[in-house]
Amino acid sequence: MLKNKMKNWLKTLVTGIFLLTISVGYGQQKTVTGTIVSNDDGIGIPGVNIVEKGTQNGTSSDFDGNYSINVAEDAVLIFSYIGYVSQERSVTGSSSMNITLEVDVNALEEVVVVGYGTTKKSDITGSVSSVKSEELAAFPVLSAEQALQGRAAGVAVQSNNGGEPGAPINISIRGNTSIGSSSAALVVVDGFVGGALPQPTDIESIEILKDASATAIYGSRGANGVIMVTTKKGKKGKMVVEINSTYATQNTTERIELLNANQFAAYRQAINPAYVQGGTETDWQDLIYRTGNISNHQLSFSGGSENINYYVSGNYFNQKGGVINSGFERFSFLSNVDVQATERLKLGFNAYANRGNKNGIQSQAGSGGSGGGDVISTAYRFAPDTPIQDANGVNTTNPVGDQFDNPFAIATESVDETKTDEYRANFYADYELLKGLNFKTTFGFSTENQTRGRFQPSTLIGQAGTQGGIASIASVKGTNILSENYLTYNAELGKGNLTLLAGYSYQKDRTERYSTGAQGFLSNSLSYYALNAGSDIQTPFSSLSEREIVSLFGRLNYEYDDRYLLTFTARRDGASNFAKNNKYAFFPSGAIGWRISNEGFLKDNKTLSNLKLRASYGVTGNPSITPYQSLANFQPIYANVGDQTVGAVVPDLIANPDLKWESSYQTNLGLDIGFANDRITATFDYYSIDTKDLILRNSGLPEYAGLLSNPFQNVGEINNTGFEITLSTKNVLNEDFSWTTDLNWSTNQVEVVQLIDGQDIFLDSSPGSFLQDETHLLREGEPVGVFWGYEYRGVNQGTPEAGTAGYAETGAGDELFTDLNGDDVITGDDRKIIGDPNPDWIAGLNNNFRYKNFDMNVFFQASVGGDIYSYTFLELASGESNATPEVLNAWTPTNTNTDVPSAAVREKRITDRFVYDGSYVRLKNLSLGYNLPVDVVDKIGFQGIRLSLSGQNLLTFTDFPGTDPEAQYRSQGSQDSNVNRGFDYGSYPNIRSYTLSVNLKF
Amino acid sequence: MRNLKYLSIFLALIAIVACSDLEEVPVGRLSPDGLVQSPADVQTLINGAIGNMATERYWGRKLSLPIMLRSDMVSIGDLGTPGRRQEVNNFSMGADNGMVTALWPKAYEVIAGTNEAIASAATLDADPAQLDPVTAQAHFFRAYTYYHLVRLFGDIPYLDAPVLDVDAALTISKTSAAEVYSNIIADLEEAKLNLPATQPSRALPSKGTAAAYLASVYLTLGDYQKAYDEAKYVIDNEGEFGLVLEADYQDLFNSGVKSNEPLLTLDFNGFSDGDTGRDYAPALTGIRANERGNIGGGWSVAVPTINVYNAWDGRDYRKAVSLDTTGIFNGVEEPFTKFPDFDSRNIQSAYIAKYTRFVGATGTGNGRASSLDYNLMRYAEVLLIAAEALNEINPGTIEAEGYVNRVRERARNGNGSDFPANVTSGMSQADFRDMVLEERRWELAFEFKRWYDIKRRQLGMEAFGLGGLEPQPSFDPARDYLFPLPFDELDRNPNLAPNNPGY
Repeated sequence: MLKNKMKNWLKTLVTGIFLLTISVGYGQQKTVTGTIVSNDDGIGIPGVNIVEKGTQNGTSSDFDGNYSINVAEDAVLIFSYIGYVSQERSVTGSSSMNITLEVDVNALEEVVVVGYGTTKKSDITGSVSSVKSEELAAFPVLSAEQALQGRAAGVAVQSNNGGEPGAPINISIRGNTSIGSSSAALVVVDGFVGGALPQPTDIESIEILKDASATAIYGSRGANGVIMVTTKKGKKGKMVVEINSTYATQNTTERIELLNANQFAAYRQAINPAYVQGGTETDWQDLIYRTGNISNHQLSFSGGSENINYYVSGNYFNQKGGVINSGFERFSFLSNVDVQATERLKLGFNAYANRGNKNGIQSQAGSGGSGGGDVISTAYRFAPDTPIQDANGVNTTNPVGDQFDNPFAIATESVDETKTDEYRANFYADYELLKGLNFKTTFGFSTENQTRGRFQPSTLIGQAGTQGGIASIASVKGTNILSENYLTYNAELGKGNLTLLAGYSYQKDRTERYSTGAQGFLSNSLSYYALNAGSDIQTPFSSLSEREIVSLFGRLNYEYDDRYLLTFTARRDGASNFAKNNKYAFFPSGAIGWRISNEGFLKDNKTLSNLKLRASYGVTGNPSITPYQSLANFQPIYANVGDQTVGAVVPDLIANPDLKWESSYQTNLGLDIGFANDRITATFDYYSIDTKDLILRNSGLPEYAGLLSNPFQNVGEINNTGFEITLSTKNVLNEDFSWTTDLNWSTNQVEVVQLIDGQDIFLDSSPGSFLQDETHLLREGEPVGVFWGYEYRGVNQGTPEAGTAGYAETGAGDELFTDLNGDDVITGDDRKIIGDPNPDWIAGLNNNFRYKNFDMNVFFQASVGGDIYSYTFLELASGESNATPEVLNAWTPTNTNTDVPSAAVREKRITDRFVYDGSYVRLKNLSLGYNLPVDVVDKIGFQGIRLSLSGQNLLTFTDFPGTDPEAQYRSQGSQDSNVNRGFDYGSYPNIRSYTLSVNLKF
Repeated sequence: MRNLKYLSIFLALIAIVACSDLEEVPVGRLSPDGLVQSPADVQTLINGAIGNMATERYWGRKLSLPIMLRSDMVSIGDLGTPGRRQEVNNFSMGADNGMVTALWPKAYEVIAGTNEAIASAATLDADPAQLDPVTAQAHFFRAYTYYHLVRLFGDIPYLDAPVLDVDAALTISKTSAAEVYSNIIADLEEAKLNLPATQPSRALPSKGTAAAYLASVYLTLGDYQKAYDEAKYVIDNEGEFGLVLEADYQDLFNSGVKSNEPLLTLDFNGFSDGDTGRDYAPALTGIRANERGNIGGGWSVAVPTINVYNAWDGRDYRKAVSLDTTGIFNGVEEPFTKFPDFDSRNIQSAYIAKYTRFVGATGTGNGRASSLDYNLMRYAEVLLIAAEALNEINPGTIEAEGYVNRVRERARNGNGSDFPANVTSGMSQADFRDMVLEERRWELAFEFKRWYDIKRRQLGMEAFGLGGLEPQPSFDPARDYLFPLPFDELDRNPNLAPNNPGY
């Protein structure tokens, strides 16, 4: 319904504006055409701004540098383009005018957004990667986070749940600098710290600040890197209307091969001869997967006059997921207005609003019970000889193993809806006090409201049958206020240039949560909207968390003679969440740069166009102390005396008034190099980050102290060391054909340096129904989160083998494990590290080709060397579910030459049998675009029309036998998200898309 | 001038938001400072200790299951069940056993709650008549919890005050079992002194409860005179304490019946909040795929060996109450010999019925979060304690026989049979002792008592020998009467070393 309305609205609008444009077209007197080329290579320059002087009339050149503009007979045209010297030409007497723009000698003067200001790219001393709007909008994605995948060295992007619509996405920069806390990068949107990322199509550029020199200006929040987002702004000139419409169809990329009904029955009968085969043949994966689609429409208006620039856009995104009944829908609006109020005063207002509706299906089953609520994993596990409903119309439950509902019933009957509203408003005023001295003040407010409602009807026998339906609502309301004030001073001092920044910042955020639920409903039609009708009300929950941060920050940039660069940055943060004895923190950094190519001996070198060395060192923090974490606490718990619920509290935490933030000490060495007038550029960075004072629960507190939670303590240290390469080449640059390549490649080695008393920390990420205690661990000298388990040796052939022992050997055909400590029994002591989820390197390779009006983008993304632990395959081999065809080769007295144990119900032990190489290379995007010729477009009143056809995830090269090597099981929402990597279970499979996009500009 | 104007506006903006002392004022959280103001607040802490007992990591599963499995009455059904359970059952557990490492901290959390209650009660200026009976509950539950710990682990860290400092907590060593017992006795005496004769609920200890546990502790210590005295005190005051042997034995295991036999219960009421308020006994002891009770069957984890079924006299009503010999599958009642046909993880044996038959409302599937009230101490046990103790100090009394006969008489009431008959008069002291222990085996079957009896009377070689109900070749009397302390606890505080012998 809404979608249709939106479409109609769009149609009306497009038509209206279309007519308007045509009518404006009358009354002009003269058409001037021509080609604009560069003076260095004679190639056409696309996107040159052409403005009729003294008017708002303007256009821009097409991809070949051609332009056409209707102007007054005596007009003067201004040609401008970044990196080139602007030109003014009178059109008197000529209707054809070819222009050659001179390369600006300061051609490297690309401007880059850094914290609290901008800087020339050539003056950067830290490590900063830039991602431009074309890359972010190259193909339709759910969010800007996803669009960053593979785009910048040292930036790893991973969905927490495969291709699930609306799934959270993790971005980690230069590895994870924390163990116990979030390693999520700080997001700064148009100066607003902690803002939500807008739609990729609304973003002008993203800068990723990576080293301490760049991030220290954000002090206690800079340790995980900073993602600086700049949204699109209006440009002076007549209004530009842009319509982007995208439609994509989506399918799951892979399925798991499973036994059919006959094979399954035979397998069951090998375990339990009394098993009676069901009468149907059901492919559960077929039933739950479908062809999904995405439609994404964006309409934007931008422009500006002498004193006001504006950019307004609306976006509608609708995704039907590849699993039935899953989807995500979003509306969003963005408005940027900048006003030159007086000669010295500039004001701006930035507003963003977004509503998201996620219609979820259960996947990645969590802890507890049979794990039977998970559509994906039950589609693998459920018996293929069983129908959706029995003869009485009752939903079937699995006839073997734990009682759980069939995946089709779960997907279609359970409800899991998340509605999210986000608003942000940000105001700024910039006043020039004196020449070179500016005062800027910003005031912003954002709020995020999220409500998640769930309902499992009583027709889902396994999940909610005995309870008579289960419903719950959980709500989170977050608000964030930010006020910042700073002075910037810039002065030329002879050959030197000095920039000073000093400021003050205040931020307060507040999160309120509440949730409640009920069971036992008369009717399944109530969903979660009538909790009061439940016969059994569940314990309600509510909480409040507040945090204040006050900060002073400053920066000094000095550049001498375009050769020597110096940056000092410092921030002092005071935060309410810091413990009593450590309320304030200081984070300094320093960096130097040397532009060797500007030295006399290299200045005239024609081959080497740029050579710069950079070095930086600094301290940044991770504000990993959540509010009240350092305070003593009692915890209310549920208690029942005489079948009456009574008030009850238990001792929870003792105070730690000395608790400190986590500090990262980062060294960065960088080299920028450019050849042949920067046709080839490369950036190399080496870094080493020591994160000290890691906050962990003090597992050294004896359990006999009887506290519910271990107090937080600063213990532990990890190190991330890595190397990054970014390479850009313009391989071919001809008038008709061009080819450019961008490659980024990075490694990150993470090592646990120190833990509490050198003790291993064992962790468990397995689904609760597996009943395992330890699946991975932290150990000094090892990477973070290595897998922990037994070494599988194959099948017991009935005769004991040296070095094997234990009850696993109880019979022929059973599993054998290595008796590592040689004590003749298999116990927990016979486990070892069996895998490492951390990749050796990640990379992105982007190729752009253009032939006349056609262009092509080929984008590969890779992650190599990380292991995956598959709980999926472990479960499918445990004898309590359907199985992979591997069991057709199971050990029997007549089939002994196999390493697949005999058909039996087995404990779900963590063994290396289910560790896989998770390396992959993926063709993330392949697209073909066509820009209609400018004269054709012009005739119908448009500035540009572009059509493109693309495919995402078309090819994946991997040895991982599961559905998706990018899958991450429960890495979000669990406290130990950074250490809980490389596990696969019931993840929403990744999606292959075919996409058609239309882009109109007028 | 203009500059000044704008500057003042901006400075005003700063001033609005810039004032903060960064102090944290947690709203909605309970700060321990000044929380306890009245006896009712002390009760809130005691309720916390009770709530902590009714969790998965304690009576819900991690304590109850090992005590059952360790005995000769319960073994493992589903061999695919996690190794930590099998290791407890077959005497192969190590110091990292997942059952032990879970129940240990939870036990101390219960104790910490009672310590907090006792410490904060000491700071109150309240009427002793109101405060003391409340504080007495804290003394009782502290003693009760240490009583489990000392029997399971022997020498243990003993704390009787809240821990405020990590380093100080790490300096302590183990307290000897003897000293722990004397502290338990002191706490129980304190409780007996100040607890009321009756409580609004059997989930709260009364004077009789404290005396019954004193009797049990003394019986364990072999101080039979005192054990007898305390049990006799309860029996003599059974009217005042409102104690009655439940007429129908089945009603003791029916969530719908409020019995006057228990001296202490742990209540579940069909509700749970996560793992709190959730028992797993119906799931752990239930038959897989069994449709009886409509709870979705059980998990076939804790199942008696077939020897239990064979050894138990078929005429005993308590056998019929305690064991399920049939299940309902696909709507048809089937004998236990066919249980594995319906799920390969079932075994051919009679299953425990005390926790599956009348579970009442349940919070989640498989009978988890049932409405059962577990009998932690009931009057029949007090009678048997009196009989056993009296036989040790004065063999051959009619009085001792009478206590056993009261229990047997009630058993006969159930089905009107003449079994079990009254005790034959004139038994030798040794025969009478064996008879009472056997009576406890059947009367208190699956009620978490048998392992402690085996340990108390050092019956392991017999119980787990070839002639026992559950032969376990790995049983080692030098090691297995004690559990290992969790290995990581020893790592944290090396003063606790060495671990118990054999671990």
